[in-house]
This record gives sequence, C-alpha cells and structure tokens, in this order.
Amino acid sequence: MAALEVRGLRKQFGGVVALNGIDLDIDTDQVVGIVGPNGSGKTTLFNVVTGVHLATGGTVSWQGQDITNIGAHRIARKRLVRTFQQAMSFPGLTVDENVRIAWEQGRRGDSRWASPGMILDFVGLAPLGRAIAGSLPFGSLRRLGLAVALGVSPELLLLDEPGAGLNDSEAQAFAAVIAQLPPQGIGVCLIDHDMDMMADLCGRLVVLDFGTKIAEGPPAEVLADPKVREVYLGPDKTAAAS
Amino acid sequence: MPMTDNSAGKTGAAPEGARARDRLALLTADNASVPLPAGVQAITAILLAVLLIALPWLGLGYRFLSIAITTLYTAIALYGLGLQFGQAGIMSVGHSALMGVGAYASAILSVQLGLGFWTSLPFAMALSAIVGGVIGPPTLRVGGQHYIIITFCFCALFVIVLTNGGTFTGSATGLDVGSVTPLPGINFDKLSNNYYLVLAALFLALAATYLIGNSRYGRKLRAIRENEQLARSVGINVDLHKLGVLMVSGLFAGLAGVLQLYYLRHISPTLFGAFPSLYLALMIMLGGARYLYGPLIGAVVVNFLPEVLNLDPVDSRIAYGVCLLLVILLLPGGVGAGIKNIYCAIAGESETQKQSGGSNGRA
Repeated sequence: MAALEVRGLRKQFGGVVALNGIDLDIDTDQVVGIVGPNGSGKTTLFNVVTGVHLATGGTVSWQGQDITNIGAHRIARKRLVRTFQQAMSFPGLTVDENVRIAWEQGRRGDSRWASPGMILDFVGLAPLGRAIAGSLPFGSLRRLGLAVALGVSPELLLLDEPGAGLNDSEAQAFAAVIAQLPPQGIGVCLIDHDMDMMADLCGRLVVLDFGTKIAEGPPAEVLADPKVREVYLGPDKTAAAS
Repeated sequence: MPMTDNSAGKTGAAPEGARARDRLALLTADNASVPLPAGVQAITAILLAVLLIALPWLGLGYRFLSIAITTLYTAIALYGLGLQFGQAGIMSVGHSALMGVGAYASAILSVQLGLGFWTSLPFAMALSAIVGGVIGPPTLRVGGQHYIIITFCFCALFVIVLTNGGTFTGSATGLDVGSVTPLPGINFDKLSNNYYLVLAALFLALAATYLIGNSRYGRKLRAIRENEQLARSVGINVDLHKLGVLMVSGLFAGLAGVLQLYYLRHISPTLFGAFPSLYLALMIMLGGARYLYGPLIGAVVVNFLPEVLNLDPVDSRIAYGVCLLLVILLLPGGVGAGIKNIYCAIAGESETQKQSGGSNGRA
C-alpha cells in the first residue's frame, strides 16, 4: 500500500471538470513528476489533495487514513506538505521567523530538524536569516518557500513548479537539493515544465491532460508515448516527426 | 549547501542623491519583526516603569493625573486591539463597544446584584471576550474591510441597545457605581491610588502582550496576518486562531472598560459609540500596532495633545487628522516604528544585525 493513495478524484468548478477521476499512488522514498499542458489539472490535483479545494468526488488517503476534505491545516499536520506555484512567504517577517513558524508547527511529535537554523543551512539561506522575507530576491524566495515546507517535517512534499522563474544555474541547484530529499525519507511529488530536469529527477512521470491521467511510468517510456507527444507537440507536428 | 546565491551581493556605491532617499526609507521601513538587543529592551522597560510609577510624585496636578488615568486604561484596550490588528491583522473600528460590554456588565452586576469591582471584574472580562468571539465569525467569512464595517455596525447597534435598555442599562443617562472596594490599607477614592490600580493593569497588559508577541502563539498570529493560505499549509488552524485572538482582545477591552467605569463612577452609551471607537483606531495607527510600546504612545499622544497645545475639542479633531495624515505619509508603521528606526539608525545596522535570534522584541 502506498503512503498516498488517490482514487477516482474528481473536481468540478461549476461546469468545468478540472479533475476527472485521477488515480495516483506515491510512496515516501520516491520522486514522482506530474506533467501536462497548462490547464490540465496539475495544480488543482495538489490543491484538492492538500485540502485547499474540496473534492467533488473520489478519495485521498494518506498512510491508511482517509484525508479527503478534512481541511488544509489538518493535512499539513499529518506531514503531507505542499508549496505553491507563486513563491509564497510571510513577507513582513524575517527569514528566521518564517522558518521558525513552520518548524514549530512540525514539532508536534518529533521534528527531523533540531532547530530552524538547520533548515536554513540545508537550503542555503543561513546568511539571510535576518532579512525581511518580502525583500528577498526571487531565487532566495523560492528557497524560502522550500525551507518553510521542509520546516513542517514533511514525509511527502508536493512541490508546485519549484523551478518556475529561476535561471538555469538556480534551477539546477534547486534540483540538486530536491534530489537529496528521498534518501532522507521525504518523498517528493513535483510539477514542472522543464522536461530535462524532470527526466533526471523523477523515477516516475504522470501525464495529465484535461483532468485525466493519460500516461504513467518511467520518464523515457512516458516521453516516447505517442499520446504524450501528441498532447505536448500537437497532432500535426507528431505526424511530421514520426 | 549546494545552492549558489547569485542574488545576495548587490555591490557598488549608492549615488549621492539616493542617500537621502535611503535615509528616509530607513525611517519609514517596517522592521517590527527585527529583534532589538535584549539589553536595550530591558533598559527601555525599566525606564518606562520608573517614569510611570513616579508620575503621581512629580507634582503635576490633579488634572494631569486624571488624563494619565484615562490614557492608561485606554492603552489597555489598545493592547488588545494591538494583538488583533498588529499581530493577527484584524482591524476593528468598533472596539470601544467591547470596552462598553465590560463596563456595562460590571455596572449592571453592581446595580442588580451588588457585586463590587473585584468580583464583577472576571465576569465583565469574560463577557467582553465572549462578545468579541460572537462578532468574530463574520471575519471567517468576510475578510479585511468588510469586517471593519461589521465592527462599526456592532458599535452603533450596541449604543442603540443601551439607549433603549430602560432602567436595566439606565437608557441615555447611564448607570452609576460606587468606588472600588478598598483593599487592606489602600483606599481607591484617592486619585493616586486609582492611578496605581490602572497602572498595575497596564503592566499586566504590557507583560501579556510581550509574552504573546514572543511566543509560538504570537508567531502563529503573525503568520495568519502575513499569509493565511501559507499559514494553513504549514498546519496552523487559521479560523480557530482568528476567533481566539478576538476573544483575547475582548479580555483586554473588558478590563479597560471596568477600569474606566470605576474611575468615572458613571457611564453612559455615548462613551462607547462611534467617536470613542474611531479614537481607539486613531491611537493604534498613530502609535504603531505592531510595536510593544506603540499602543501606549498612541494613547499618550491623543489624550495629551489637546492639553499640551491647549486645543478645544473641535480644534483637537483637526489636529488628530493632521497627525494621522503625517503618520500615514511619513511613518506608516506608527510613531513606535519611527522611534525604533531612529534607534536602529543611531546604533548602526551592524549592531542590530549581529544580535542573534532569541527575543523577538518589538520597539
């Protein structure tokens, strides 16, 4: 049984079906990538799994417990933690305090971090501890977002486009940090559009299109799938390419 | 670790013209969350405590001491408002109604049941907290400005209810109470003793504010103020804590209301209407809601300004308006922010930067 089990998850916004019966299994020793064109339901999947939006149907279970629609803060306390597509922080507070808030929340039971400073060291923000979060440059803000999520001592981390807006070297550095997480028992599920990075990082890719899972498997296999190529490159180009 | 920070070092000398602007930016910056050295905090606290305790001995006269008492009990209510607005980011422009709930609860208990100051105090504070909690749920549904309007409506409604409450609330004339039940050897009919009673309550409010501000609870409130969605996603029960802080704020307001009642010995609905509420909002914005001494500074400025400048009520309203404009333009964080920024500028950024973690003191 996988740690996170999503079964037949549906989400409707009025008449728009954003998720149409998604099944997904993720364990805490894996990096799983979720890809798909804009509007395919990737972020909605994260939002419904983490309780930001209510599911219209289907179930989400985490470590054997049903967590469908139980509320975002309860899900976070069960150490299923997510980051946001827009780099989010507590902008008026110092970097230290940002991470301390999350760390104190994650300390119920036992934290994997002895102090908030360890998290800052891990993501490379230690020198900026006393800076006001809102004044950070974008690259540092992304790292702060990761540090805050890590502060909650997650067992599974859902990262929504962690590389968006970063330059190549920053994105590579970020990928290197993410790659260190599964060996420490922090599973990662990430959304990103950078296919090279995803192919490197992820053991498994899930492809969404119009709220439906159209492919799942090892990156090389999935990216060679004609259905995936059609979604990403468009039918005409696929025909020309093949 | 593995990440390179290619954004941290912005080098190169600032052009001359930018320096003045930098200096102004330094004064207007909001640095409420930057901790001050523990020594500075301790010295400020001791100096302030000595000044406040010595006040009745300075021979400043009966009128001065009366205004000082008004200032202090107002400041106690402002500390509650400081928690809900400064820390949790929930503004209210009907806060004096919560003071009124405490004051009227205590007065009614006195008139109907003969309860004195000490016995009615806990009930009055609890009732203020409950009422704060009851008008709270709308915040969970509507945010920001909408809630502010609701608090204003509550305040107006409260005055209408009091005015039409017959003999139970004393209608428009209000209610009278006796003096504070004397403690062994202390008679609160003496003005300086009444001052010390209110001062002791203020110290409690200050201590509570300081402890909450530096606690895990205070950090949760600030997280909610800064980013509700992120606060939820790290496991903070946002709805519960928003409601909770309104109740805590109600406790402070109730305490202030009872102190006001037993200082004036007579209360009437107009004391808790729109104008006093707006004055509370004015004071908290002038002083700086996020700073430990901000509410006290705001209360001192607003209560003593007409006295110092010898203004009549109409002129003083104009003066308040001018003050508020100046503060919004020059010191968005309030006078408390300005004082802290000036201190930081004098002490040098380097010194405050060196201090590590621990006490997260606000001005």
